[in-house]
Parts: sequence; structure tokens; C-alpha cells
Amino acid sequence: MAQAKPGGERQVLESMYSMIALVFILVACVELCDAATVVDVYRLIQYDISGAPFGSRLANLNHHAGSLHFAPGSDLSRTVLIIPLRELNISFVKEYITQNQPLGGLLFLLPQIFSIENRERAKSNHQTDGEELLKNDLAELENYLYIPRYLISAQQEFGSSSYLLLLYPVYFAFEDDDIEAVLADVKRNDATGQLATATTGGYKFVVSVPEPKKRASPTITNIQGWLSGLKTDGDANQLPTIAVVASYDTFGAAPALSVGSDSNGSGVVALLEIARLFSVLYSNPKTRGRYNLLFGLTSGGPYNYNGTHKWLRSFDQRQRESIDYAICLNSIGSWDNDLWIHVSKPPENAYIKQIFEGFSNVAEELGVKVGLKHKKINISNPRVAWEHEQFSRLRVTAATLSELSVAPELLESTGSLVDGRPFVNEAAIIKSVKLVAESLARHIYGHEGKNVQIFADNSSLAVNPSYIKSWLDLLSQTPRVAPFLSKNDPFVLALKKELEDHTDEVNVQHEVLDGMFTFYDSTRASLNVYQVASVTFDLLLLLVLGSYLIVLFSFLVITTRGLDDLISLFRRPPSRKVKTA
Amino acid sequence: MTVFHFFNCAILTFGPHAVYYSATPLSEYDTLGTSVKAALVYLGTALVKLVCLATFLKVSDNESFDPYQEFLKALIGFIDVAGLYFALTQLTHRNISQNHKFQAVGLGWAFADSVLHRLAPLWVGARGLEFTWDYILQGLEANANLVLSISLAALGSLMWLRKNKPKTLIPIIYTCAGIVATMPSITSYLRRGLGWHFPEVVGFQLFTSLVMAFISWQLFAACQRPSA
Repeated sequence: MAQAKPGGERQVLESMYSMIALVFILVACVELCDAATVVDVYRLIQYDISGAPFGSRLANLNHHAGSLHFAPGSDLSRTVLIIPLRELNISFVKEYITQNQPLGGLLFLLPQIFSIENRERAKSNHQTDGEELLKNDLAELENYLYIPRYLISAQQEFGSSSYLLLLYPVYFAFEDDDIEAVLADVKRNDATGQLATATTGGYKFVVSVPEPKKRASPTITNIQGWLSGLKTDGDANQLPTIAVVASYDTFGAAPALSVGSDSNGSGVVALLEIARLFSVLYSNPKTRGRYNLLFGLTSGGPYNYNGTHKWLRSFDQRQRESIDYAICLNSIGSWDNDLWIHVSKPPENAYIKQIFEGFSNVAEELGVKVGLKHKKINISNPRVAWEHEQFSRLRVTAATLSELSVAPELLESTGSLVDGRPFVNEAAIIKSVKLVAESLARHIYGHEGKNVQIFADNSSLAVNPSYIKSWLDLLSQTPRVAPFLSKNDPFVLALKKELEDHTDEVNVQHEVLDGMFTFYDSTRASLNVYQVASVTFDLLLLLVLGSYLIVLFSFLVITTRGLDDLISLFRRPPSRKVKTA
Repeated sequence: MTVFHFFNCAILTFGPHAVYYSATPLSEYDTLGTSVKAALVYLGTALVKLVCLATFLKVSDNESFDPYQEFLKALIGFIDVAGLYFALTQLTHRNISQNHKFQAVGLGWAFADSVLHRLAPLWVGARGLEFTWDYILQGLEANANLVLSISLAALGSLMWLRKNKPKTLIPIIYTCAGIVATMPSITSYLRRGLGWHFPEVVGFQLFTSLVMAFISWQLFAACQRPSA
């Protein structure tokens, strides 16, 4: 019994130890989020073109905050600069980017007007000068953050030889009271001439997200809807087809904020409304035209209209040849008086002439101006600036209707941060819809040159402003960057359903985006703002506490045992040594 | 650097208990067993208190001060006194003097209280990146609590263990013990009824604990004289 007892005790002890260890491990895992402020942040896009890196290359952030008021010459490699758009100095940013200056990170604070949720401002289309300035600033800033063409020009301007890389995380956030308060504090600290570091304390910004991973084989989804014309003598295939096409996906500085209300939300809205109008006409055999109508919502627009390319390739030769012409809608939501028809065949071409005359006649009646722009396509150049160029490459007559007079650069004007709902004019979209629908109808029913209003206001065929508004609102709240849209994204399904309502036959085509582009995920995150104490403070505290305990000890010893005991305490060790020796 | 801060706060919270034990004659007479027993009694008392609180108190969502509820709470708080009484009188101690007994009991009592109420929040909170003064204040509160516990134990030992004390001092002893025992209710009233902030409350606690300690020391000394 006595011999068995120690063994049993040891077992109990051992099991106790493991229990205790387990408890400690569990307790150590408890990590509560106790940040003073948590802010939603949106990361700058990270992508590669043919292996060349662009955009922000990192996502993790754990540095002290600094403001633009830092003392010149200070080391910013461990500082997150907070830059409110209202105080933005574009040349400073350009210089920093082009000279590859070390930075801990960048956080741009955008005014609420650029927020997706900002809907109240959408009511009034009146823009103040301040907002216009902010918009221009932001647009320029964005260009230098991720558009290859601008990065290269900035590189030449500042004479930097090395390759431009943002080797630090770049985030966007919206102004609110919490972050403003933090910024005010940071500014106050920076005004003293010393940046916040571990030794001085201050605010610490922490974003902990996993390392950005490549999106494996991004898919693009094209949606097409057919509205078949009235068959005569049985053979429908002989009916010519008119195509109306708009690309619906976007690409912008922050993928999670890239809603592209104008580019190309306005085009999508216009296409849906045109489909709705013609579905009304085509539902009645008497007003059914002798043309098939093909509506195409294509994806991959920012990437040289890759989706359009794939979509056209999927048609057989006969179908493609039956297309009389195609009208592509691109950015038609914020123009005042001038629209442009972009073509790649010379204006003398008979078909082009016909289209242009059709449009300009209607435009004259609507009181707007339509201009014709001719831009030759270069087959050897992979850059496709307009959607109609994909049609032209396959010898299909096509034109793009757009408010832009010049072709945008690669990835430019495809849903940038400034392209939000407040900057889109519904009236412009309504005018564009009228223009396109009316000229198509006149062509279909052979009323060219006559002054007949088929889609007159207040008739049953009038353009429906509330339909346009609701779709525009939906588009303005849905980021649509193709690599981050899944095949069965609710938005894609909604588009499909809407086209199904207005057309006879809808097909959805899933394709893989061509390999030139690589995208990285983690587009949005939460920024934790911590107010941290400095190491100096902790050391000082330790010193104070240590002396407090020593004083307490001495006080207690003196009061309970007397001063002699206290003194003897310090003498004891040597005397014991003597004893043992 | 946050583990550092945790370390600092832990020193402030638990250091004085260790210092008290090693600096006073408690360590020489090896009264650790008594302290451990007192701590165990505290655990039992805390359990009983929890059960009582859960049975008799309504759960109020708001932080308002409800006099009736607070009165009940104060009554339940007196369970502590019962626990102390048990620890002082019923526990079979080895032959240690009354002088050391109440100190050991008070020390064990305060230490168990600190571990139970302050260790977990400290572990979870003070290691976070965010800096607040709360945990330092909490450590100071633990110090005040140590002093109060020892005072209460001293008064208790005067009440229950010492037979021949001056008659004139008895009401004073009972009033003081009453005040010390209702201290949690008083601080709770200050915090919620008067809306005092945490630093002010802690300051008040520190001040009163020192005053009470001084008074109980004087009382103890006064009671010691006739017997000596």
C-alpha cells in the first residue's frame, strides 16, 4: 500500500500537469479584438501583366501611423502614412512611388461621396466645384497607382531607372468620425517633429490578412439574348441581325469599390432598357420587325474586350455574317451635349455612313450632337481600345457609342474610384437610350430620314426613368471585377433573368480569361487601430513598480520586525556561506 | 511589448501579497498553510455568494443604481464576513499566535480574491495591443483590497477571538467592521449612483483602505495593551 501510493500519486500529478498545460494553451489562444477603432479598408489592386507586377504587392500591415506633417528627412519605412484626399499633394505621391522610397504603408482617406453606400447624394446631380476638384485629384492619383501607361510616364518624368513597385500595402478607406479623430491625434504628434515609433508610442495600424493568393484561372461570363424577328417564307436564318452590346464588368484601383456607374454601368442599363422597349414591340406580330435583335452583355471588357472576342468566336460563320451591324454602348452616363460614334472603318464606307446618318438624324431631333471618330485598328497590336474593334477584326460592321472622344488606355476608365453613382446623370442615359432605340427602330421599320417618334414620351413605348434609375442604383452598388465574380454570382444571375424577361432565348457562356493577366485576392480587410504605449513607458512603469515593492517591503519589515532585521537581511547571505564553508 | 505590460500589471496586482508574506514575520512562522486554507474558504464563500446572487437578484441590463437591489447585494456581501468568521474561528490552525493568524487569513483571502477577479481580465486584456490605464488601476485596486481584507480580518479577530477587550472600544470595533464589510457596496454606489469614474473610485478605495488600516491598527494596539 505504501509502495503503491507514490506511483499513483505521480500518475495523478502527471495527468494534472497535462491538464494544466492544456488549460494554459487554451487560454493563450484567446485573442480578443479590443481595438479602439476598426475601419473597413479596401486594398489597391494587385495584378501582373505577363508576369510584370503592378499595384500594391503586400496586404499585411503592422506599423505606426504618421501623417503628411512629418518632419522632412524622417525615415518612413516603418510608418503608415495617412493621406486624406483633401490634403493630397499629387506630386509628393508620384515622387514617392517613382523613387521607390521605403514606406510602411499608405492609407488614403476618401470623402464619403465616393463611398458605394452613398445614396443620398445621388438624388441631386448638382456638383460643387470642390467635389469636382476632389474627383480630378482622385482620378489622377489612381492613374499613378495602377495603370501601366501612367506608371511608365511617371518613371520617365522623374528619371527613375528601377522598375516601379509598391512594395508596401496601399489601402483606401472612407472618412468617418473615428478615423478623423485618430488622424487629428497623429497630426498633433507629428507636429512635435517626431514620428511615432515603438519608443514613443502612438497609434498602431494593424491589418492581418493572409498573404494575397493568385486567382486561379479567372472565368468570364457572357450573357446573350435573342429577340427573333418576324419570319417570312419560313426561313428565319435569312433575317439579318442587329446586335446591341455592352460590357458589364469593371476594373479599378480597389476591386471591392469598383462599381463603374458610368463605365460601363450606364451602357448595361441602356442595353436593358433598349431590350425592354423592343420586347414590347416584338411581342405584337404587327410590330415585329424583320430583323433579329441580339443583345450581348460581355465580360472581360477591361482586358482588351477578351470576353467579346471569345463570344464572337463562339458564333459560326453564318451567324456572324448575318449580323448587319453591332452597336456597342460604352460610358454614356455623364455627357451633356456631345456623343461620339467610334468606328474603325473609314467614314466613307457605305454601312458606316448609313449608321452615322441614322444616329445623327435622331440626334438632331433630340437636340444633341453626335460626332464620328475613325481609328484604324492595328492587327499586330494586342491592345483593343473599343469593343467594336473586336467585331471589326472579324469583319463585322460595328460602332461604339460613347461620351469619350479618345480611346482610353489599357485599364483606364473601366470603373475607377471616382466612377460612382453621384457622378452619373440619369437624364444622359435616357437621352442615349432614346437615341439608340429610335435610330435602330427607324432602321428596322424602314423609316430612315422620316420624322416619326416611335418611343415618344408619354406613349406606351416611352423610356421608363424609374427602370433606369433602379438598375443604375443596383449597378452602382455592385463591384463587378470579373476575376472576383464567381460563375453564379447573384449579380450575373440577375442580369440573366432580366434578359430572359425581355428576349426569346438567353444563353450564358463561361470562358476562361486569357493568360496575360494574373490577379491576387484579399481586396478588402479590416484595419484595427490601436493606441499603444511606448516601451519607455513600460520600462518606467516597471521601475516605479519595483521601487514601490521595495519600499513596501522595507516599510513592512521595519514596522513588524524593526530596522535591525532589515539590515540583517542584507547581511545574511555571506554569513550563511561562512557556515557552509 | 504587450507581454511586458501584462507583466507590469501582474506585478502590481500580485506583488504586494508576496511582499507582505515575505516581509512580515508570517514567513518565519510558516503560516502558508493558514493562508491556503483561508483562500479555500474564500472560494467556497464566493461560490455560495454566486448562488445567492443568482437566486435573489434580478438581472438588470442597464447600469443604473437600484437601492433595493443594492441593499440585497450588500446583505449577500455579508456572507464574506461569515466566511471570514469561519476561517478565523473554526479552522484548526497549528499553534500560531492570533497576531499572525489574522494576517495570514487576510492575506489568503485577498490573494484568492485577486486571482479570482483580476487574473483572467488581466490575461485577456493587458496582452492586447491597445493601451489603457484600466489594468494599472485594477492593480491598485487589488492593493487597496489587500489592505482592506487584512483590516477586516484584524477587526474580526478582535471581535471573535479576543475575550478581554476594553468595553468602550467594542462599538467602535463593530462600526469599523461594518464599514469595511460594506465597502464593496459603497464603491458600487459611487460608481453607479454618483457616476464616478474608475480612477476616482480607485483613489477613494486606496484612501479609505489606508484610513481603515490605520484605525484597525490603533484598535488592535489598544486591545493589546491591557492583556500585555
